[in-house]
Amino acid sequence: MIQSSVVGHQSSEAVVDPWSLVVGQLLIVFAICLCSGSASAQQKTFVLKGGKLLTISHGTIENGVLAMSGGKITAIGPAGSMKIPKDAEVIDVTGMTVYPGLIDSESYLGLTEISAEGSTNDLIETSDEIMPHMHVYDAFHAESELIPVARLNGITNAIVAPQSQDTLPGQDAFIQLDGKSANDMLLVRDLAMPLNFTGEQRRNESWEKRKFPQTRMGLAAQLRQTFLDAQDYSDRWSDYEKKKSDAAAKPDDKKGAPSPPKRDLKLEALLPYLQGKKPIVLAAEEPSDLETAVGLARQFNLKFVLNHVSHSQPVLDYVASLKVPVIVGPIYESPKNYERYDAVYGLPGELYKRGVKIAFASYDAHAVRNLPYAAGYATAFGLPHDEALKAITLNPAEIWGVADQLGSLDVGKTANVVVADGDPLDVKTDVKRIFISGRQVPMTSRQTVLRDRYSGK
Amino acid sequence: MRWMIVKVSLVAALGLASFQSSAQQSAEPSAHNEVLIKNAVVMAVAHGNIQNGSVYVKDGKIAAVGKDVSAPSSATVIDAGGKYLTPGIIDSHSHIALDDDVNEATSPVTPQMMMMDAFDYQDKAIYRGLAGGVTTSLLLHGSANMIGGQAIVIKHKYGANRDAMLFPGAPRSIKFASGENPKRVYGSKDQLPFTRMGNFAVQRAALVEAQDYMREWDDYDAKVKRGDKDAKPPKHDLKLEALADVLRGKLLVQIHCYRADELLTEMAMAKEFGYKVRAFHHALEAYKVADDLAAQGVAIATFSDWWGFKQEAWDAIPWNAVISMRKGVRVAIKSDSEDFARRLNQEAAKTMRYGGATEEEALKMITINPAWIIGVDDRVGSIEVGKDADLVLWDGYPLSSFGVPNKVLIDGDIYFDRSLPGFGMPHYREGE
Repeated sequence: MIQSSVVGHQSSEAVVDPWSLVVGQLLIVFAICLCSGSASAQQKTFVLKGGKLLTISHGTIENGVLAMSGGKITAIGPAGSMKIPKDAEVIDVTGMTVYPGLIDSESYLGLTEISAEGSTNDLIETSDEIMPHMHVYDAFHAESELIPVARLNGITNAIVAPQSQDTLPGQDAFIQLDGKSANDMLLVRDLAMPLNFTGEQRRNESWEKRKFPQTRMGLAAQLRQTFLDAQDYSDRWSDYEKKKSDAAAKPDDKKGAPSPPKRDLKLEALLPYLQGKKPIVLAAEEPSDLETAVGLARQFNLKFVLNHVSHSQPVLDYVASLKVPVIVGPIYESPKNYERYDAVYGLPGELYKRGVKIAFASYDAHAVRNLPYAAGYATAFGLPHDEALKAITLNPAEIWGVADQLGSLDVGKTANVVVADGDPLDVKTDVKRIFISGRQVPMTSRQTVLRDRYSGK
Repeated sequence: MRWMIVKVSLVAALGLASFQSSAQQSAEPSAHNEVLIKNAVVMAVAHGNIQNGSVYVKDGKIAAVGKDVSAPSSATVIDAGGKYLTPGIIDSHSHIALDDDVNEATSPVTPQMMMMDAFDYQDKAIYRGLAGGVTTSLLLHGSANMIGGQAIVIKHKYGANRDAMLFPGAPRSIKFASGENPKRVYGSKDQLPFTRMGNFAVQRAALVEAQDYMREWDDYDAKVKRGDKDAKPPKHDLKLEALADVLRGKLLVQIHCYRADELLTEMAMAKEFGYKVRAFHHALEAYKVADDLAAQGVAIATFSDWWGFKQEAWDAIPWNAVISMRKGVRVAIKSDSEDFARRLNQEAAKTMRYGGATEEEALKMITINPAWIIGVDDRVGSIEVGKDADLVLWDGYPLSSFGVPNKVLIDGDIYFDRSLPGFGMPHYREGE
């Protein structure tokens, strides 16, 4: 039932196709239909009245009113600007802050339960560096106890990625943190593909265990060969399709129908990315790795967003010149010994100053709930508050191609709405209510159950 | 400011002289300084907040605190411009500056390990913690062993020499551990302990051995006292000597422990052998047995909201700190991580959200309470006359996502100043 319809992109399979075709694009725009079964599960109309609405897209409405129905936001405006439907449940949220559900641009939700317990982990296949045919949706555990914990702090949507020890670890899913089942929650199944070049993938470096690829040269060569193989594979299939249609056009030809090439799941998985239909999430931390990775992406004309750039402070102008969004952080990554204490904390602000569209990610599973605090902390190091908030709402919605449905409080968008008693970015703020696809989600998790049992509630 | 002039002239002089001297040591700040911090919101921890408050620092100590404080004109004046001033943050559980020599994981009982022997005072993690407002840390042995080594207490005077970083006169602490770590470390090698039964059997056996050792020495000492010239001293054993000191109450016992049942067992063990547990560290299930902890006067040093990283952290809840506190337990929020150490203020602020700690209660969890756990609460942890002048001036409100240190003073000297270029450290320059 989940469809990812990808439209409107030129594709090229030429190895040396000029990058200029895509370099001008600030955003990766690809339309995705988010068809969530839970959207219509609760038809109840809710009206939130009296709150401070942080719309993200069109400023703050101090004393506002917001209506949700049929899973969508149906009205928003200042108090008294609309007629309240008779059948609506009106909730007084005076003194509260209302904002769109937060979006985590990289998490491992649903792939792990207890980090140290191997049987609960489905995070990464480490048998090979090249595993593009791993699909997060095949492992996504919708009933994970971690999901309600994250949700209780207002995170309503997230990218779920495999862990990063492989150069090509598989394909990301885009989830909603509520739903009856995995089918409900997996809004987009293969949204994007990480390409990691952070040094962490170089795991055969010891001389005792040495095997290919032992070095960064090896990793890069392995990637190049993989993409070349995928191009050849694509050509073989094109050739076959052509022969097949030729044969169909000439049914009398004695040669008969051609036989198809053997399917190769690894190479097949790469095709939408080679064709520029979906984005690569290009991860690098230090300048040399970043430039190698970007060079590789350009060689194969891959469309990409950047990930981390944690220690690339000397080349931020270069980063900006790429005109692609950056998933930045984690800003708590320790600086190198030669870096000032705030070198990484300051990255979001520095990128923003250079006009780069940024988004934050938790890069975690258990700590997804703390996503807004990283954005908040970045404001102490030069990122404007509104931009920090955008970087966990509208920016990621745009980067991941779902801005027509998510990321702001606008009529027609999915009713993922959070009600809290203060600034979304502050650690002291308590989230009071959460609506996902217009459904009011219970404010409970395994942790609240334990709290209530032992605090005598 | 005075220290800058002193430092610059020293560096210049040394530069002319030769390569041999360590400028870092020579640039050691003078303790005989006078600083007046005025126009601050003084979050004293001791007696509530003072608006438009001042703190006068003399010879490294807090000499006066209040609304109207007079200081001689020779004092360096820092106009806080309405910023918040707190005591230096104290981290009661840290493994930084040990160059990964955290666990002597070759035996489950290693009380003779001295963390001082591994202390790398040049570790930049000390600086990064300092820049997060941490002025004092307890550097502990790891949790591979049921009975680990003896800790050191440091002040984050990055750029000073090694001995200047040690907290003078701080009591000795020893690290115990329980639960998954020892049983995994030794069980995976097919050694004792492999279970929690094994864990406690190892601990009990070591303590019994220490009792015997202590008795032998007590007998010997008694003989000597009686004037028995034939008395022969027992053999010295570093390991048992350290454990005997536990039994004699000379070491503060800091126990890594997660699960509620193990918290109870550790307290029973302490009672059986007659020592006191100073604090349980991690203690993520303290909220389940908080009454028992409170009755025994045992503190906890816990995470704010870290959970799920292993089975024994599965029942961790972010309300642990406040539920335990409300039941009478002294609670500290600690880092156990180079990362969390850089923003303990934010971690403490989470207790205001999870359970409704007041501002002062939250602040206590990273100041006076960890100071008590380390045994230095008479010296640091609040802004009171006579205490060490370990102070943090904040940009923004410290108990929030947005507060970061602007200046950090230790013993009255500025060790970190955000407004300075480079590393922001007056007493340190790269390459010196």
